[in-house]
Amino acid sequence: MTEPNTPSSQPNPSQTPQSVQNSPKPAAAAPKSGVSRGEFLWIGWAAMVAFVGGFAAATARFFFPNVIYEPSQKFNAGPLKQYDFGVNTQWLNEERVWVIRNTKGFYVLWARCTHLGCTPNWFGDQHRFKCPCHGSNYTIEGDVIAGPAPRPLWRCKIDVNSKGELIVDKAVLQDLPGLREKVPFFVEYT
Amino acid sequence: MPTLDAEKLKKEIVDSQIWRSIFRGGIWKDTPRDRAAHIVGNVWLHLHPVRVRKRALDWTYSWGLGGISFVLFLILTITGVLLMFYYRPTIGYAYRDIKDLAFAVTLGKLMRNMHRWSAQAMVVAVIAHMARVFYTGGYKKPREFNWGVGVLLLTLTLFLSFTGYLLPWDQLAMWAVTVGTNMAGATPFLGNEGPFGAAMGMHINNDVRFVLLGGTMVGENTLLRFYVLHCVAVPLIVGILLILHFWRVRKDSFSAAPYQAGEEKVEVWPNLIKREYVAMAACLLFIMVWSILMNAPLEAIANPNVTPNPSKAPWYFVGLQELLVYFDPWIAGVLLPGLIIVGLMAIPYVDNNPKGIGTYAWKDRKFANAIFTLGLAMWFILIFIGYACRGPNFFWYWPWESWLTPKAAPPLTWNLFGPDPKWKLFQTPNLSAFPLWIGIPVMLGGFLSWLVLPKLLQKELNGKKLQAAFIGVMLLFITGLKLGLHVPFGSGLWLLFFGYLAFYFGFILPQRYIRSMDWARYLVTMVFVIATMGVLLKMSARLAFNIKYVLTIPTVSLNI
Repeated sequence: MTEPNTPSSQPNPSQTPQSVQNSPKPAAAAPKSGVSRGEFLWIGWAAMVAFVGGFAAATARFFFPNVIYEPSQKFNAGPLKQYDFGVNTQWLNEERVWVIRNTKGFYVLWARCTHLGCTPNWFGDQHRFKCPCHGSNYTIEGDVIAGPAPRPLWRCKIDVNSKGELIVDKAVLQDLPGLREKVPFFVEYT
Repeated sequence: MPTLDAEKLKKEIVDSQIWRSIFRGGIWKDTPRDRAAHIVGNVWLHLHPVRVRKRALDWTYSWGLGGISFVLFLILTITGVLLMFYYRPTIGYAYRDIKDLAFAVTLGKLMRNMHRWSAQAMVVAVIAHMARVFYTGGYKKPREFNWGVGVLLLTLTLFLSFTGYLLPWDQLAMWAVTVGTNMAGATPFLGNEGPFGAAMGMHINNDVRFVLLGGTMVGENTLLRFYVLHCVAVPLIVGILLILHFWRVRKDSFSAAPYQAGEEKVEVWPNLIKREYVAMAACLLFIMVWSILMNAPLEAIANPNVTPNPSKAPWYFVGLQELLVYFDPWIAGVLLPGLIIVGLMAIPYVDNNPKGIGTYAWKDRKFANAIFTLGLAMWFILIFIGYACRGPNFFWYWPWESWLTPKAAPPLTWNLFGPDPKWKLFQTPNLSAFPLWIGIPVMLGGFLSWLVLPKLLQKELNGKKLQAAFIGVMLLFITGLKLGLHVPFGSGLWLLFFGYLAFYFGFILPQRYIRSMDWARYLVTMVFVIATMGVLLKMSARLAFNIKYVLTIPTVSLNI
């Protein structure tokens, strides 16, 4: 295939490989495939670059785990009747949510600041959530009223089971006004 | 009774077969040839030249900062390897192992203290080393490439710190890494919360943040990933770059100072080696004393659900944290750090001023020094604000104020340009005053004219008159705001202060000093200058007028 593999085709053994390369076409006759040294090098280097690039890309994929072992995002928040009106913080430490009851019913806010993921605190006297990391402030609805957070707090999907208990699913979230006040992100209860 | 002749004993040891087999060369006669051979024939010393110019040895020239950084790196390597003998990178053990190191392992506390304090000292030393090299023009031709390697090493030093402080698995670790990796989640195109991220199909479980965390939250995989990065991957890269850095220092010649005819040179052994030894010993002593006197901080065990209030990054990142208050994460966390790194690396290629090499020259390179000093000062002022002026809920408390002082809730913020305009300044929260079809052309036009104006004005304008005119116009503007829109004077003064800084450093200085540069170098310089001034202006917009975003396009998560 390549010139070094076909020494018999060299017209003059005393010539250096360089001069073979430079010699006119008839000299490299007979069983040759017509791949010049330059082309061969191009193909070789291209193949190597393709291999290294492909392998690097495959290795990048290596860093995306296919199976992750993380806690379930769904939990039972107990009977609805136990909750007072306003912001209930008893699930913050374990499940990172606030259960909020107003005159119409329940919604659950995921206690993750939409700026960079810290947990805000509820200040009942000022009626605000305030984030300790960069100073974002939210209303009880979850809307941003100060600081750098780009969007409202997320509301979790909620449901009531047959025993009258609140089931919270933090994997299904909504923050758009109009949608977040409706099922499944709101439970009517009076 | 035979007396002990120290000199004779030393000679016998040095000339013994064992000693001479370890240190190459014949009988040691302390001739210049011997001393040269000692440098050339020793693998650890041979990166040094044999002889060096006297000026390069002055303490007040280099301050030994590069060497000190390297010594700290060595201390970190040794103490780090020792700590690895007792530390297990799993959620169940990590925090307990750190506690054990502090209370149950002989010298464990000292090792951890030394590791922590050396890391902080190394950040200081590397930054100081960069500043020293900058101010002595050490990055100029032919050392441009080595400056770039140095910038990478600075970045990796900070990255090593970042990956290191997840490992104790305390509250600082938890929340620093939560914030840091969420910043990665704000990367344009590649992060699920970044501009155009959703359009690129990014989700919480396939973006760049997911790769960093090895999951969707800071957890077991994250700890292991950061452990491997901190202990193996990054030190390996740093080691390779250090070899390159040292080799280029040697090849590009040891001192940047230009040759003077017939300049005297001195022997490296013992003149330089002696100084290096003293710097190393002093450095080690300093770290040891500090580590005996002060314990490395360790907060409560990590709780992924509750954030301490206030939550602050380690001091060298608290400036970045402060920037995040004013900017959207993709700007403060991705764009600005990227621009800082690229901008620093670009310096040697845009600064073609041949003066001020090898000396601290203020007069010959006013523009370069002024902009670099402004950048450094901004970095440390931001650190000061974040470290000393932020209290609970990251609210502004002066250092002398008690954190128990009640504070009014922060004011409502609004946007200048965005969808659903209200055609009115100082609006209610998250609404925009003016529409995007005005905002985008105004921002682009403003940027482009600022970019080219200093060079297009061929004649140098009178700086004093310009400054007086600027301040006059600004005072009129502030008075107008006060009378027309009832904006308080205090806000006006903030605007005047930041506006003046931006005008002076972003227009007057470029107009005076870099007008005559070629277009390519001029434009690159101006992009970085304007980016720096943009930080100042955006900060003033927030502090003075509660502007959240200058321009916002929520549909693609693009906020400026």
